[in-house]
Amino acid sequence: MTAQIPVTVLTGYLGAGKTTLLNRVLSENHGKKFAVIVNEFGEIGIDSDLVVGADEEVFEMNNGCICCTVRGDLIRIIGGLLKRKGTFDAILVETTGLADPAPVAQTFFADEEVKKRTKLDSVLTVVDAKHVMQRLEDSPEAADQIAFADVLLLNKVDAVTADELAIVERKLRALNPFAKIHKTQRCEIGLDKILDQGSFDLQRIIEIKPEFLGDDHNHHHHGHDHDHDHGHDHHDHNEMKHYHDEDMDSVSLSSTKPLNPGKFDSWINDVLMSKGPTILRAKGILNLADADNRYVFQAVHMMSEGAFAGPWPAKDKRNSRMVFIGRDLDAEALKQGFTACQMA
Amino acid sequence: MSAGAPLVESKGLSWALDAYVIGAAATPDSRFFVCSLGDGTVRVLDLTDAAKGFTAYQIHKGGSLCFAPDIEAGSHLSGGDDGKLVKVKLDGSTEIIADLGRKWIEHVTSHPDAGFRAYASGKEAYVLGKKKGDEPRKITLETSVGGLAINPKGKRIAIAHYNAVNLYWLAAKDGQPQVLPWKGSHLQTTWSPDGDYVVTAMQENALHGWRLSDGQHFRMQGYAAKIRAMSFPKRGHLLATGGADTVICWPFTGGGPMGKEPSEFGGMVNGPPVTAVLAHPKLDAIAAGFENGKVIVGQPGSTRVMPIVTPAKDKEPSAVSVLAWTPDGDRLLAGTEAGDVHVVDFRSLA
Repeated sequence: MTAQIPVTVLTGYLGAGKTTLLNRVLSENHGKKFAVIVNEFGEIGIDSDLVVGADEEVFEMNNGCICCTVRGDLIRIIGGLLKRKGTFDAILVETTGLADPAPVAQTFFADEEVKKRTKLDSVLTVVDAKHVMQRLEDSPEAADQIAFADVLLLNKVDAVTADELAIVERKLRALNPFAKIHKTQRCEIGLDKILDQGSFDLQRIIEIKPEFLGDDHNHHHHGHDHDHDHGHDHHDHNEMKHYHDEDMDSVSLSSTKPLNPGKFDSWINDVLMSKGPTILRAKGILNLADADNRYVFQAVHMMSEGAFAGPWPAKDKRNSRMVFIGRDLDAEALKQGFTACQMA
Repeated sequence: MSAGAPLVESKGLSWALDAYVIGAAATPDSRFFVCSLGDGTVRVLDLTDAAKGFTAYQIHKGGSLCFAPDIEAGSHLSGGDDGKLVKVKLDGSTEIIADLGRKWIEHVTSHPDAGFRAYASGKEAYVLGKKKGDEPRKITLETSVGGLAINPKGKRIAIAHYNAVNLYWLAAKDGQPQVLPWKGSHLQTTWSPDGDYVVTAMQENALHGWRLSDGQHFRMQGYAAKIRAMSFPKRGHLLATGGADTVICWPFTGGGPMGKEPSEFGGMVNGPPVTAVLAHPKLDAIAAGFENGKVIVGQPGSTRVMPIVTPAKDKEPSAVSVLAWTPDGDRLLAGTEAGDVHVVDFRSLA
């Protein structure tokens, strides 16, 4: 079997610092050769035949279901790149600030040829610390891009005060409880922190830890959105967290009791079938009854996959965790459905 | 079922060219095979001395993306990711037909008798006549071009894109297209030999077809994989297609395939899908290549299949990307994504 080429999707609003990051990836000596698919050549400082222009063409497959929308231009371009394999090791896809990231991600699951030859590594969103609050006010795409991300690069942190930064960070956490957040100036970050993340690799999703405000800096605690269970849950009950941000929500669920596999399967299928269009991302690490290994689950809208992925870490309790990110989520219904999957 | 050793072992030659075979064609005199590759080369094989192998000419800085015979016999067109459409003669001499800078040239086709060439990049398609110095006619579509095909008479061009196929008159300088709408992304497209049917392979695993004489259209589905190849034999009585584990042939006699079952041949149930098909230029035979590199020649409805190439045992299997017959029907070329090229000589079997 031919090795799959990793793909990183780079999103973010105009001016957030995407081009700075792109130029760094292209020019730094990291031993990897990237093919880069850009929305416009504009300020890309590198003239390489591996920099390709895209048209952001969103195609509906199977009669217009939102979950089957893909980027036709990416299918075409990746198909073309793969015909000269061996000349690059990884692909970086840049999207505009106005792009919906879901069709980009879905392209890597929906098109069989793309799926066979490449693998989506992660969605990386660059956020401008100074302007993001305003962007969130005036453009719904900004919330989509943050909510969709696996890695958030909170850039231009030097342009805001510590208090402002804390507010921004809390906002990002509310929109997206599972992304890794890195704070940067001029996108200065080790590329190992943004590339090869394996965010869509079920075998590598080892924890879902809604960390509200990291542990490494000053912040204001607000009791209601502080996470009490940094890996050591003492409560023998079902937990739910629900963060509401205008219409973008995230719902975190956890359970200390094992789940009934059949019930979970039918519940999650039902949720995705009925609510898929409003669910941007979902991830879960689950303790299914009578299974020795962790069951890892993820979904982008209605497209989902799940697999057993290795044993539970010895020191961890076998707590099931799930996170849903989407619009107008019915937190109470999700909680009830999830709770009903628990073994008696 | 197939039996015996594959023909390539006794009547053929094989080469490892080490780059994706994009396209191949024989010259009208059946003397040369020419192909373009993902490494940006065009390679020429003189069949009068095939043992000498291919001569390689570096044409593009990156890779070739599309390939077609030129309107001038013996010359070929290769479009590349360097934005260039290059005419290549058998001796390797070149002429740049178009240079679109950083845009990729993704599709090219030609009609030598009518003297038209057409190529496309993104949402733009270009039609170029044979007169030297003529500017190409530029056609801008709403969405990116998925495929180009000139009709057998050389009068019209079908341009497949998203949600429709547009038909244009080649000789016209402008004018509105006839639009054949159908929701979805249309990729490769082809005409039936009588020019009455236009068929596209779609992003979904299905074909869509239109009958121009009465505007009827139809969908052909049930494929397990994307349909990467389709071919009408000259008689036009059927359309052979890839995308399934056998070669699926839709009947086009007596009013087209509507409501009819396709016939099939070759392959194995749940085996690798067919990735290339090409009807023989004279006989009722069809060559088919599979995802595992296997090549066969067979007939619809027949269980007798002639094995041409069996999948290599000593290396990773690679899908057949290209098939080409010489116009006299004596020789078949098969090329794979990994760059393995086989040429088989059928003459002593006749």
